[in-house]
This record gives sequence, C-alpha cells and structure tokens, in this order.
Amino acid sequence: MAFTLAYHIILVPLGVAFPLLTVVMEGIGLRRNDPVALRLARRWSVVMAVQFAVGAVTGTILSFEFGILWPRMMGRFGDVFGIGFGIEGWAFFLEAIFIGIYLYGWKRLPPKVHYRLGWVLPPAGVLGAFGVIIANSWMNTPAGFQLGADGRPVNVDVMGAIFTPALGYEFWHLIVALYMTAGFMVASVYAVGWLRGRRDRYHRLGFTVPFTIGAVLAPVQWVIGDIATRAVFEGQPAKFAAMELTWKTQSHNPEWVGGVMRADGTVVLGLPIPSLDSLLAGFSPSTIVKGLTSFNPSDRPSVVDANFVHLAFDVMVGLGSIAVLLTLWYAVAWIRYRDLPRSKWFFRGAALAGVGSYIGIEAGWITTEVGRQPWIVYNLMRVTDAVNPVNPVYIWIMFGTLLVVYAVIAFFFVSLLLRLSARWRLDDEGRRDAIDLAPEEAAPYGPRPA
Amino acid sequence: MNTLVSYGVAGALLLAVSAYSTAGGTDYGAGIWDLLAGRFRHTAEVRALIDHAMAPVWEANNVWLVFSAVICWTGFPLLYESVFLSLYPLFALALLALILRGAFFAFRKVATSSSSRLLASRVFGISSLLAPFSFAAALGAIASGKVGVGGPVVPVWQACLDPLAIGFGVVALTATAFSGASFLVGDARRYRAATDENDEGPDLVEYFRRRAVVAAIALLVVALVVLVLIAAESPTVFHGMAAGLGLPFAITAVLAVLAVAALMWRRVYRWYRVLTVVGVGSFVSAWGFGQVPYVLPGRLTIEQAAGAPAIEALLLVITVVALVLVVPSLLLLYTLDQRSALES
Repeated sequence: MAFTLAYHIILVPLGVAFPLLTVVMEGIGLRRNDPVALRLARRWSVVMAVQFAVGAVTGTILSFEFGILWPRMMGRFGDVFGIGFGIEGWAFFLEAIFIGIYLYGWKRLPPKVHYRLGWVLPPAGVLGAFGVIIANSWMNTPAGFQLGADGRPVNVDVMGAIFTPALGYEFWHLIVALYMTAGFMVASVYAVGWLRGRRDRYHRLGFTVPFTIGAVLAPVQWVIGDIATRAVFEGQPAKFAAMELTWKTQSHNPEWVGGVMRADGTVVLGLPIPSLDSLLAGFSPSTIVKGLTSFNPSDRPSVVDANFVHLAFDVMVGLGSIAVLLTLWYAVAWIRYRDLPRSKWFFRGAALAGVGSYIGIEAGWITTEVGRQPWIVYNLMRVTDAVNPVNPVYIWIMFGTLLVVYAVIAFFFVSLLLRLSARWRLDDEGRRDAIDLAPEEAAPYGPRPA
Repeated sequence: MNTLVSYGVAGALLLAVSAYSTAGGTDYGAGIWDLLAGRFRHTAEVRALIDHAMAPVWEANNVWLVFSAVICWTGFPLLYESVFLSLYPLFALALLALILRGAFFAFRKVATSSSSRLLASRVFGISSLLAPFSFAAALGAIASGKVGVGGPVVPVWQACLDPLAIGFGVVALTATAFSGASFLVGDARRYRAATDENDEGPDLVEYFRRRAVVAAIALLVVALVVLVLIAAESPTVFHGMAAGLGLPFAITAVLAVLAVAALMWRRVYRWYRVLTVVGVGSFVSAWGFGQVPYVLPGRLTIEQAAGAPAIEALLLVITVVALVLVVPSLLLLYTLDQRSALES
C-alpha cells in the first residue's frame, strides 16, 4: 500500500498542476498569436493525457487496495474517512472528461472555446487534491465525531470531519508543492535541451513559463513548510519528536542536521545546532519539546521509523532550501539583465530541480506517513488493527506482483515519453518526411487519425 | 429521513455499478472480440477497428469503477469491509487484469515487431475476460449469501468460487461480448462511411452484426440458467427478482436484448445502442433491486450498513451536484465520440 501510494503521488503533480501550465501557455499563444507557444501547449496536453491515463489506473488500484489491505479501518471509519474521496472522485471524473475534450478539441473546436474549456481543468485538479487531503489530514488529526460504544463514530459533525486541524496547512503545503514540482519538472526538460545547445525560442519559452511558476512558489513553500512543522509540533508531538530526533523531553532542544539515533536514544553522525529546535518550534530557546520517551513505547514511532522520518524530513527541507537559492539566482539575473542567467551551473541546477522536487515530495510523504506510526488513524487505530487478517504471505505475493506490474507501467510510460520527445524533435528539425501528423496522434490514447 | 437518504445513496451506488457495467462492459466486450478475432480471417482489420473504436473514452469508463468503490466505503463502510474481507482474491485478480489490460493496450499501439504485437493482443484480450468476470463474480458471491457481516461465512476460496459467483461471471462475459459487438457494429458503420466506399476490405458491419445476435441469444440463455441458480441458492433474492422490485427491470432487460437481436437480425441500424445500454443496465438493476432491502441478502440491510447519517446526506448532495456537472459534460464527450464530430 505504502508503495502504491508513493508511486501514485509521483503522478499527482503533473495531474493536478500540469493543466494550468498548459492552459497558461495556450493563453500566451492565443494572445500573442504565437505558434511556438501553441505548439508547446499542444504537446504538453498529450503528455498530460498519457500521464493522466496512468494516474487513472493507479488511482483505481488504490481505491480497491483500501479494501484489500485495510478492510477493518474502512469498516470502522469508512464514512468519516471517505467523504473526502467522495469529493475527489467527482472532481477526478470532471478532469477525465475535460482532458478528453481538450485533447481531441485542438483545431476541431474554435480556439477560444477550446481555451475556455481548458480552464475547467486546473480547478478540477485542485478540488481533487483537496478531497484527498481531507482524508489524509483526517488520519493525522481525526476530528468531527465521537466514538460510540462499538468503536464506530457517532454524532458525526461533517464540517468538523472535513476541516480537521491538519487540513489547512497540509492542503496549502501540498498544492504549492504540486505546482512547484510540475513547474520545475517541465522546466527541467527544457533546461537539459538548453544545456545541449538548443537555445531557440521554443526551448526558451518552454523553460521560462514553468520555471517562473515554480520559482515564485519556492519561497512561499518555505514559509508554509515552517508553519506546517510548528503545527505538527502542536498537534502530533510524537511525529515531531521523530522528525527532530528528540529522545527526552527538554527545553533548549538542539536541531539535528543529519544524524542517526541509536536504540538508547543517543544520536551519532549528526550536526547539532544548540537550542535551534526549541527556538523554531516556540520562538524561544526555553520552549519544551516532547521527546519520544514521553510516549508509551507502543504508541510512538520506533527508533528505526524515527530515523527514517528524520532523514526524509531533512532531505525535504534541504531540497526546499536549494530551490529557494535557485529562485534567488533567477530573480537576481532577471532584475540585473532582464534575461535568463547565463551560467551553465544555473541550468544544471534547474535540470536537477525537477527530479529534486519529486524526491522532496516523496520525502514529505514519508515524513507524514511514517511519522504517524504505529497509528493509521492517529491515537485511535493502529495499522495492525486495520489490516486484512490473512496470512501475510498473500500480502507479500500481492506486493511482489504489484512491484513487477508497476515496473512494467513505468517502463511503458517513460519509453513512450522518450519516443514522443524524439519524434517531436525530428518534426522540429524538419527531418520528418512530409507526413504532417498532429502531436496527439502519437499517444496511445489520442484521437483517431482522421 | 435517514432511511430515505440511505436508500438514495444505495441508489447512487447501484447507478455507478450499472454505469460501469454498461460503459466499461462495452470496452471489455471489444477486448473479448479482439481476442476471438485471432481465430477468424481478417484478424488485422478487426483489430484495427477495435483499436480505433476504443481509444477516446478509455479512461472515462474506469472512473465509474472508482466511484463504486468510493460510494461503497463512504456510504456503507460495513458492507465494504465485509465484501473485501470475504472476496479479496477476486478483487486482486480483477485489479491485476485491469492494469495489464491498460498497459498492453497502450503497448500494442507502439509495438513494432509482429510477435510482440501478438503477445500484447493476447494479454489485452485475456485480461479483458478476466476483469469483468472477477468483478461480476464478486456480485454473484454477494447474491449467494456467502458474504457475512465482517467476513465470509464459508472459507474465502469457497465464497469466491461459489456457483452463483461463477454464474454471474459468465453472465458478465456474455453481456460484455453482447454490448461490445453491438457498439462495434456502430463503429464499423462509421468507419466504413469515413473510408473509401469502393474499399475491397471485409465487411466488418456484417461480421459484428452476426456476433451481436449470437451474443444476445447466449446472454439470454445464460441469464436463464443463472436465474435458476439464484432460485436454488438464494430464495430471498429470487423472490425480489421474480416478484419484487427487480421484476420490471428483469422484464426490461430481456425485452431490450431481444429487441437488439431482432434489429440486428433485420439489419435495422437504429436505436440498437440505446437498447443495448438499457438491456445491460437493467440486468444489473434487476439484481440490485431484487436484493432490496438487503445489501448482503438475509444478513445486512441498507439501513444497518449505512454510515453516519450526516455523512450520508453530504455524500448524496455531492453526488447530485456532481451529476448535474458531470452528466452534461459526459454526454458531450460521448456524443462527440459517437458522432465523430471530433474527427476532422
């Protein structure tokens, strides 16, 4: 389950945020009557559709895995947990339909109509992410109900169950992360092209528009991430202790950069910055930070979990900070020369920013999910009580099968994208013989050749 | 009031399952014909047509499935838990088939050598059989009463291999083959109109017309056999289908399928697609309404399975709002697809 979720989340940034980039690009193309921008938008829409199809499949798998792996949780909390998915499902449906219309509508609908229909996509994507975050934030800070005698929720307050304490920061943190990632990812493709010497308008536009979106958001994300961490400190102290490798409850708690905790709670291989953790968490060095030992051993993440969470958290924060530096570079160059930075190193950084953002998202996800261990619903239900009580061998067989299947999907997905990109490059260089194929026709889900 | 809301949500769930059976079923049916095409002449032309017909609405169909799951766990958490604890092997199998099907459908389009294309076709075809069979078998196992509250009343494998589960699976296969053939007749007609009139190629309209008639008859025969099975295994459900709320749907289903067969037989190409959808949808509804008021026959009623009332009400509101938004856009997509308005 963890694996499939981690896989699915890779597809999410493009699914949620890519439509905006595409529609913005189409808008630029229409306003300035720029065929290059329109060509970019049209090709992006193909990538968008292909990855959406893969996302639809992995999403379907997820909705059934909840039942196959965690039937007990669904039986007990399915209603309060699931309402977010109710919203997500319909938003997803709208997105599926309009991606279909958008993709087939190029040159077949009037450009303005097509452009306006495209604007349905970004809000549908955001609404879908909102639904999923409702469910996840509920698992982190369950609220909006009382437990009845049979352990099932009673007196459910719908608004309370949707707007749980964690919803606000989790939602903004994720949405900004998704747009950042999509922006940096798409830009990184053209950054690589730039490094290889392809410096035409096509690459310039393909880099600038998405990178600007990512760059504007990077500093914003820094602030939101800071707020989110403090909220975790307040609302999920055990997770916070794991993130910061805090063993004993104390004030003047150091911030560990790197470091591995041993079974006795001592930390090795790390750089402690005295009192910084207390300062960040409560704006004062004397802020008391709860340590792992203040929780019952069966109610807190294990030391292994804690190390994992801490590492993931550090990676996420580190990558976020690098993104901010890259943004500064970009901004300075723009203010001084009104142009892209000239240094190759900037483009090398930008080329890595896409992959870096993905690693950041995965790390963030590990932080929030592993940090909640051993609970599946914080303080209410343990993972071990939620799972299907079958012989674990079956679960492992299924897991193995899924691994293979996902590898196959990944292979197809990547090879298809490479194939598309190679073909488009041939098109641009005019090396392709007079067959004038629309870009959509190369995708396996595209419209039929007329 | 709460009861009414629960019934509303149950209705939404049945609607989603029916929609998936008709829309997704047509898709699976095309896959089945694709698999069978290998044994006749004109294999390549048949496969080309199926490729051509399936591409555009491919992922919109899958979304109905996600809905069925979401409505089920949000609206009826206890039902979801019970069904999955009892029948997880069927769902695992269906999922596997679903993934392989999608992946190999895409792969076939980009495959270059004929041997890898053949392999892709085989995997695609076999998984097109497996997926609807497994999903329908799960419904059959529910109808058989082998799914108890919080787990199966017999060992899991026995619940999954119950005669009624297999019976439902076979009904699903014939039903998808039927709707697939019926819609492919339409696609073949469009395809022929779009290509050169003097084309010397095989007559695919005739090809699928004959198959639609055969599949319709097979569907009715299998359905009759399964009805007998239901009577033997699950009298409550049989009563609901033969004398209760399910009856009108059962009659509609039979009449609609007969009508399609008759139209096809006489080469009247009007109304057959609508009737196909009505027919297949009514089969699902006949079972669904036949189970009222139970979600697990004899064990769990709609009211007992329902989740928190406030959530149910919200779910219903969301569903209604979404239907208002989704149905028109979906109709737009399907109409554009069926009329080929999006083509050139």
